[in-house]
Amino acid sequence: MNNLKLAWRNLWRNRRRTLITSASIFFAVFFALVMRSIQLGSYDHMYKNAIESYTGYIQIQHRDFWDEKTVDNTFTYDKYLEKQILADENVTAAIPRFESFALASNGPQTKGVLVMGIAPEKEIHLSKIRDKTVKFRLTSESIAKIEEDPSIPEKVKELAPLFENNAYTTASRLQLDLDIPDKEAHVLMPAIEAHARSENGSIAMGEPGAWVGDKLAQYLQLGIGDTIVLIGQGYHATTAAGKYEIKGIVKIPLPDIDNKIVYLPLDICQELYNAQGNLTSLALAVKDNKDKAIAGTVERISTKIPGDQKVMEWREMNEVMVSQMDADDKGGQIMLGILYLVIAFGIFGTVLMLTSERKREFGVLVAIGMQKKKLASIMTLEMLLIGLLGLLVGVVVASALILYGVDHPIIFKGETAKMFAEYGMEPKMAFMTIGSYYISQIVIVVAMVLLAIGYPLRKITGMKVVNALRA
Amino acid sequence: MIWKTAWKNVWRNKVRSMVVIASVTIGIFGGIFAVAVMNGAIAQRVDAALNEEISHIHINDPAFRDNYDMQLIIADPEQVISTILETPGVAALTPRTMIAGMANTATKSTGVQIIGIAPEKEKEVLKLYDTTIPGTGDFFETESRYKLAYIGHELAKELNIIRYRIDQDVLDSLAVKNLPVELLDKLSAFSGTRFKSEKAFKKEMKGALSLKEQNAYGALIKEEAWSFRARSKMTLTFLDKEQIQTGAVFRITGVFDIKNSMYEMSQVLVKNEDMMGLTGMAPNEYHQLVVRLNDTELTEKTTTSLREKLPGLEIMNWKEIQPDLAMMTDMVQNFYAIFMVVILAALAFGIVNTMLMVVLERTKELGMLTAIGMNKKRVFRMIMLESVFLSMVGGVVGMIISKILIGLTSSTGINFASYAEGFEALGFAAHIYPEISTSFFITVTVLIILTGILSSIYPALKALKLDPAEALRTE
Repeated sequence: MNNLKLAWRNLWRNRRRTLITSASIFFAVFFALVMRSIQLGSYDHMYKNAIESYTGYIQIQHRDFWDEKTVDNTFTYDKYLEKQILADENVTAAIPRFESFALASNGPQTKGVLVMGIAPEKEIHLSKIRDKTVKFRLTSESIAKIEEDPSIPEKVKELAPLFENNAYTTASRLQLDLDIPDKEAHVLMPAIEAHARSENGSIAMGEPGAWVGDKLAQYLQLGIGDTIVLIGQGYHATTAAGKYEIKGIVKIPLPDIDNKIVYLPLDICQELYNAQGNLTSLALAVKDNKDKAIAGTVERISTKIPGDQKVMEWREMNEVMVSQMDADDKGGQIMLGILYLVIAFGIFGTVLMLTSERKREFGVLVAIGMQKKKLASIMTLEMLLIGLLGLLVGVVVASALILYGVDHPIIFKGETAKMFAEYGMEPKMAFMTIGSYYISQIVIVVAMVLLAIGYPLRKITGMKVVNALRA
Repeated sequence: MIWKTAWKNVWRNKVRSMVVIASVTIGIFGGIFAVAVMNGAIAQRVDAALNEEISHIHINDPAFRDNYDMQLIIADPEQVISTILETPGVAALTPRTMIAGMANTATKSTGVQIIGIAPEKEKEVLKLYDTTIPGTGDFFETESRYKLAYIGHELAKELNIIRYRIDQDVLDSLAVKNLPVELLDKLSAFSGTRFKSEKAFKKEMKGALSLKEQNAYGALIKEEAWSFRARSKMTLTFLDKEQIQTGAVFRITGVFDIKNSMYEMSQVLVKNEDMMGLTGMAPNEYHQLVVRLNDTELTEKTTTSLREKLPGLEIMNWKEIQPDLAMMTDMVQNFYAIFMVVILAALAFGIVNTMLMVVLERTKELGMLTAIGMNKKRVFRMIMLESVFLSMVGGVVGMIISKILIGLTSSTGINFASYAEGFEALGFAAHIYPEISTSFFITVTVLIILTGILSSIYPALKALKLDPAEALRTE
């Protein structure tokens, strides 16, 4: 206890130096935590978007389907299997799907598309595809109406043309793009919504209708009520062909999917490919999506399914995305590594100065009977206190910012927002709380201090009192 | 005089100065090298895009890019082509037809964009022909009674035209390459196996080999097991000019590999003359003209002059075709600067501390200097110069080391093979050749000097506040 008191008092003998050294540690810790929070926040956002709107966390597929996505690699789905799977504690719903490729055309326009047969009422549990229908669209007509409307301020009228032809699945996104503050929203939004509204029908089992991705609809120049023709290869190399009325347009937050997806009711899709009763995949909605829970669920389900099927988890199904995140993650870590290295040198510099400045003092203390060991432990405590001070302030300030940021993400507007949209990202920078990452910060700071402390400790143990007194 | 004194002062406490210098050296080196790697990756991406994928300028009907409507051909092509070729800055031009279709083999099918080209003209504009994987053929050079198609590596893998197999030949050639016997034994269990896909191959290998073996020999085994089915064919189906479904069998003339999996997966090159009979298009009907310029720097200027000359057509340069590419090259410069500023800010803490120490330990000396008539401005300047020297020495050493290391690695490259999939999906090569412009070194030098000056202000102000009489009295 005494040692601690001495160390603490020593710290404030040269207040400036202590504060500057602590400040450098604060800087590194703060920067590391905030950067990490933003990085993880955006990954979380990105993969949740990708996973939840397309693959889901877990899928059951025919053993060979993932490697060879043909209609022949399908499996039959019956009530017994469904019961088995739904019995699992972490599974909340099993969503049957049938996906394949086809050539889609509307008049002169043709494009290779991804056809997905879905059970619309079951998708509510996972992809929530119904929520993704386009509710508003800033067509040139709706922009003209907005411009003519005297109740709408100039500022909004200027912004609107920037987002011409943009489709919106929610009013709040539209409000954000047009930069309308919440307090004005209840006045302005009803009028804007009325100008930009876009109506969609629904697809239902047994009725030959289709939903298409927004980008695909633009490419094929499809509108609601138009007919899309699909030609593909069916079960056992039969020809698959059919025509379907467009009931609605959906906007999927992944541009690569949005520009090629056609949704059909499951039974209609199976009929198209001559594969009645078969599925290509069964996506599972889960209660807990943490890695550990997913792994456990995969293991349990694997034992329940027939041998011709297998369980895939999101990492396997999104390999490219996972390795992109990995590469980006490593880049961030290298940057932080350089930062910490620089800070470590700063700490070492401080230690060096401390030691040389107090050489004589150390000599006197040892001469009057202080054990070298005690002196060394005071010195160590001093440095640890400097480190912990910086760490503590860094953690507190960063946490405050992160906690604030979780509820108040940074939102981009105008041109930048458009740029984000082109990449299929929401124009916001999300923060995420990062529990476990704090521990590594503590470890790094303590390790830096302990490394730096090696020098004075050697000086103290090897000190010749007589020489030191003369210094 | 002041300069000399400041310089000598730096070396009065060698150990302390060396610690600061070392930290600046490491910070600057780390920062510059990381930036060079990033910059190299981007430069490679842009280069590849310009040389292999898009070239500089695309010219087509204004509505063509909306949905690649086959009817939207370029009117009066001879006149347009000669106008373009007369424009200063234009080096070459290749006309193309573009049709959306499906590529099918016996087991698989996928949507592709079929590009009809004239191979000789295409070669003048894009170097795609140069990326043919050895052993897979060539760029439309071999005559065949079949129609020919030139496809990407990813598509070839997808269509099972390239696959992985292990047989006696593979085992023999691996044995020659000094693989451990027990590893060969493990592999011989697979002898005669043809893997359905790259994924299946990887999975089997992961299952059979230990992690150490995978890391040491994985790439070699993959290379040997890779096999191209010579004389492979695929069917291309699409709609002709009359909206009637048509198609034909095409033989693979060659497979290209450009480290951009999206492009490799989606683009199929065929000879224009092979397509005409199927689509019903006339020989001089084109959808798009792809232009190569003498120099990338001429992009904006030539785009403007082409727009004036050809008002009825859409003229798009690479920056407009791939805004992400242009944005990346522009935006990333700011990011580099921010990155360096963060590192220098961290360094500044160390420098401030050291300079503070310098001032405090020289209280008496500084008092003496003021007492004998050195004015405050000069004292301030001396301390500032000392701080700048301290950071510059470290900075210069750091920059020299970076320059040397960038020089060394820029020819050999750095391999990030373990992240290849993520990189290549984004169009980046996994083998990166770091590079950075000289102007970046100048920027960094300015930033270092600024850091030196800024971090000396507080300590120097401290020095000015000293009362000479007081200072002289201190021990």
